[in-house]
Amino acid sequence: MKLLEVKNLKLYYQSTRGTVKAVDGISLDLAKSEALGIVGESGSGKTSLSLALMRVLPSNIDTNEGKVILDGKDITQLSEEEFRKEIRWNTISMVFQGAMNSLNPVLKVGHQIAEPMLLEKTVNKKEAYKKSEDLLEMVGLPKEIFNRYAHELSGGMKQRVMIASALILNPKLVILDEPTSALDVSIQAQIMNLLKRFKKELDISMIFITHDIALSSDLCDKLAVLYAGEIIEKGTAEQMFGKPKHPYTQLLLASIPGLKQDASPKFIPGAPPDLTSPPTGCRFHARCPYRFDPCDKKPPPAFKIEKDHLSRCWLNEGDKK
Amino acid sequence: MEERTRNLFKELLSSGSGKVGIAFIIALIIISLGVIIIYPPDFGLKYWSNPVLWADNPRAAPPAWTNLFSSYNQAETVIFETNIPTERIPGVSTTKVLYTFNLNHKADEPPSFISMTVGNIKYNNRPPVLIVNIERPDGNKIELYRLIVPGPLPNEVTPFARFSETPFRIQLSGNHEVVSAVSNFLKQEFDVSISNQDLLLSGVDIAVFGTPQDDGKFDVLMGVYKIQVDAFLYNEDDSIGSVKFVAGGSVHGFMGTDTLGRDLSIGLLFGFPVALFIGLVASSITTVIGTSLGIISGYIGGKTDTSIQRAADIFTNIPLLPILIFLSFIVGPNLFIIILILIIFSWPGLTILIRSMVLQIRSGQLVESSITLGASRLRIMLRHIFPQTAPFVFAQMIFFTPSAILAEAALSFLGLGDPSLPTWGQILEYGFRNGGIYVGYWWWILPPGILIVITAMTFVLIALGMEPIINPRLKRGH
Amino acid sequence: MKETRNRMIRLEDVKMYFQSRKGLFKTVEIKAIDGVSVEIDKGKTLALVGESGSGKTTLGRLTLRLLKPTAGHVFFEDLNITDLEEVHLKSFRRRAQAIFQDPYSSIDPFMNVHQIVEEPLIIHRIGKKKERNEMVHKALEDVRLTPTQEFSNKYPHMLSGGQRQRVGIARALILKPEYIVTDEPVSMIDASSRAEILHLMKNLQDKYRITVLYITHDIATAKYFADRIAVMYNGRIVEIGPPEKVVKEPIHPYTIKLLAAVPEPDPSNRFKERGVVEGEPPNPADIQWGCRFESRCQLQKEDNCKSKQPTLVQIKPEHYVACFLKDKDKS
Repeated sequence: MKLLEVKNLKLYYQSTRGTVKAVDGISLDLAKSEALGIVGESGSGKTSLSLALMRVLPSNIDTNEGKVILDGKDITQLSEEEFRKEIRWNTISMVFQGAMNSLNPVLKVGHQIAEPMLLEKTVNKKEAYKKSEDLLEMVGLPKEIFNRYAHELSGGMKQRVMIASALILNPKLVILDEPTSALDVSIQAQIMNLLKRFKKELDISMIFITHDIALSSDLCDKLAVLYAGEIIEKGTAEQMFGKPKHPYTQLLLASIPGLKQDASPKFIPGAPPDLTSPPTGCRFHARCPYRFDPCDKKPPPAFKIEKDHLSRCWLNEGDKK
Repeated sequence: MEERTRNLFKELLSSGSGKVGIAFIIALIIISLGVIIIYPPDFGLKYWSNPVLWADNPRAAPPAWTNLFSSYNQAETVIFETNIPTERIPGVSTTKVLYTFNLNHKADEPPSFISMTVGNIKYNNRPPVLIVNIERPDGNKIELYRLIVPGPLPNEVTPFARFSETPFRIQLSGNHEVVSAVSNFLKQEFDVSISNQDLLLSGVDIAVFGTPQDDGKFDVLMGVYKIQVDAFLYNEDDSIGSVKFVAGGSVHGFMGTDTLGRDLSIGLLFGFPVALFIGLVASSITTVIGTSLGIISGYIGGKTDTSIQRAADIFTNIPLLPILIFLSFIVGPNLFIIILILIIFSWPGLTILIRSMVLQIRSGQLVESSITLGASRLRIMLRHIFPQTAPFVFAQMIFFTPSAILAEAALSFLGLGDPSLPTWGQILEYGFRNGGIYVGYWWWILPPGILIVITAMTFVLIALGMEPIINPRLKRGH
Repeated sequence: MKETRNRMIRLEDVKMYFQSRKGLFKTVEIKAIDGVSVEIDKGKTLALVGESGSGKTTLGRLTLRLLKPTAGHVFFEDLNITDLEEVHLKSFRRRAQAIFQDPYSSIDPFMNVHQIVEEPLIIHRIGKKKERNEMVHKALEDVRLTPTQEFSNKYPHMLSGGQRQRVGIARALILKPEYIVTDEPVSMIDASSRAEILHLMKNLQDKYRITVLYITHDIATAKYFADRIAVMYNGRIVEIGPPEKVVKEPIHPYTIKLLAAVPEPDPSNRFKERGVVEGEPPNPADIQWGCRFESRCQLQKEDNCKSKQPTLVQIKPEHYVACFLKDKDKS
């Protein structure tokens, strides 16, 4: 059975310029011990998606629709109180973007990791602190770090602390939003190694949100590419990297300056659309080098290429391979 | 830039506090402009400090509209003033010029005093004579007073001018001639004996405007009183300029009077532009000095920074009050000195704040890129650093204005102010000094305090309305 | 012996030490740059690749004389700019410009695009109003912010990150500088737009024959746009050479690990862990003897590694490495 099923999730905000359709009908699913990569650029709605799943919603929400089914249970039907007690942090937890900066500078790091556990009131301090120390070791930090303060740690160490903090209540699903974007490439590689280990040893499912499609191949079994609030292609890692079908995915892959290839990296002209007034038809058509007649008129549905591989492009109509 | 200003106003008007603040400040500005246009520039010395001019006002009188709230009808001040005689009766050698005033007395009490003022009398031969009569509603007529204009001096030439610069005022109610006349009248008409002494003490007006009762008290006689001033001129070219008769009330004017009889509404109105002037001048100069020094201190650093910061430390630690007392002792109280002192002691606070802002900005890429372009230090400070601090500076200026106004009011209240100028603080101080609280002169004590608070609040409301612009995180979600 | 006339920038054994206060009485010396000698020829691009703490940004600042070196010399063409006072540097500043990392903070939010791009002309008193307007127009065309009339009046907050960066480029180029330092010019821009900006910069560099120092942590982009790559670690250059050599045949152990850490889009990556350099990046405040990389190096070390600093030695034509273990394989 799938651990997570998201069906047609929508999240619209109210802003001075109009309604921002940040998440516009997203469906995805995830099994146990699986990692799903959500790849999108700035303005694609990827952070809004993670906030919607965690129900950390801002005050200017206009619409919040869709179903989120976790372990067979529809969690969108839960009240705020129930969601807080049962789901948030103990079933689904999150490592936020730039989370290193949200560590409390006046509390010891070990105490901060233990805090959600202490709030549960089911364990005493000693147990909570022991678990905190164990997690520090698990993320590759020496136990002494428990007594350190945030400013004494490097960026990489702080990020490991945040990961430990997300694991304290043994969640089934961890959402990571750009967990390595502020880190050096060597430290990033260390953290990715760590996450790979967790996926295997702890049986955790992960949703890995990033703008770096190459990085997602380091961890993710499945990939979904987000553009202007919609998923325009999704599939297994082999399908997505091997035979991407949507022009945006293809261009995204071509824009990586690879070490091994000699070809010059490509770029995508133009800018992502304004989410208050998405374009008619396919949202990517204005920047697409392959656009043809139907592209600006009707939004394409998600065409099935193969099992698990869907692409939202008129070029894929009738594609069966 | 224009778009930013437009945005500023839009943001300001979108908030409740901003709207109220703008409405108030427009009102303040209109009133102040009106006062500046209408009042003469030397108002303070010539009018406010000149007792002669409000001699005809009742002392410590509540505002006239309080009459509406009590069943006891208090007497209002009635002033008759004219240059043109009611009647002119030429004669062979004597011209009789009559001034008639009809006073409809409806109050439950007599006037607090009666007075006559004449001005600008010219004569060529014999000095004119004026006789003041009053005819009561009950038909009785009293000749109150006879004035013989002072005669010519030894070396004087015709025409002889008397009372041209300062009109001549006679407080009829306190004049012994009048007292005798009234005393006689009482004896004759009502067979009531009151000594001149007693009459003077209790007030001649009770008798003039009342009917004696058996218990020794007087009942007010309501009705129309005809006051006649007869002037006898002995030459064709003689003339009388102005004649003024005042029946003092116990209530007066829009805001009442103080113990010197000064019309408080005039004084309080004068306070509007003064308050705005003090507030805006003190805060703008302080802001300019504080910001410039803060930017220079923060950006240039080194010895310049240290010296400016030490200067700021010194000024912050010197106690303001003793210095002020000391200065006012030496120089004498002066509004400009007060403003100067306020500025000198307020700039350090702003400098220290701006300096820390600049230190942060300085480490940013904007300054680095400007240096790379080859920009001079001055250019960087003016063109790149200052605009980043501008919203904060502007808000500080607005916040500081009420502080300056309150500081001046406090200083005046402590007696360190400039007594020749009627600022609100001054009026408040004078009221307190004359025991306003204990005696209950609410019309004197409350209005200046309320006006100070409203003015200060106006600026605070505007600053609150502008907050989202200074701190974009506070932007109101529309 | 290289023709000195061809040389744009030369650093001669440059050191940059900062004093930092630690506690109330102690000061600690931070060796941001600890002996770097390097040259850049006219019209060429040198990429300076390193991670945080490597000193690459500091080195870039030194070449622009935004900092005065603690020791060593900085030459711009034949001019020794090491100790010049700011007033004498103004003509140098006209010829050496920079494109900064953060397009959000390096341009003044209170000025519109026209004013921002025009500013260098005003500072250096070039041309009259009409001429300046034409130069601004041309600069905006060069960076493809067209129609230029439309962009001239916009303020930074109305532009996307990529557009702002182009404004920064236009501003840097309007003086027709001979030398440009660009520090992480695309790291704050969307992945799909990065190549566009880099292509633009490369075209402009070719068109105007500008010498470029390209500072980045991303060795992959360095490979495409540089004529030479210098890898920095903890204040020293550990390897320098042509891109194909450094990327395809790296010699220094740090370079090897650095290249291994770069993510490539390969779905089989998720099944294997990368061989990465372990531990934390070095603290430049720590006193160090011997090779900087020694504490994280996994090769079999020799005695020199702990006691002496390795210097750059030529291993292959044009390819230099600073490592005691590798300088024996000369070919």
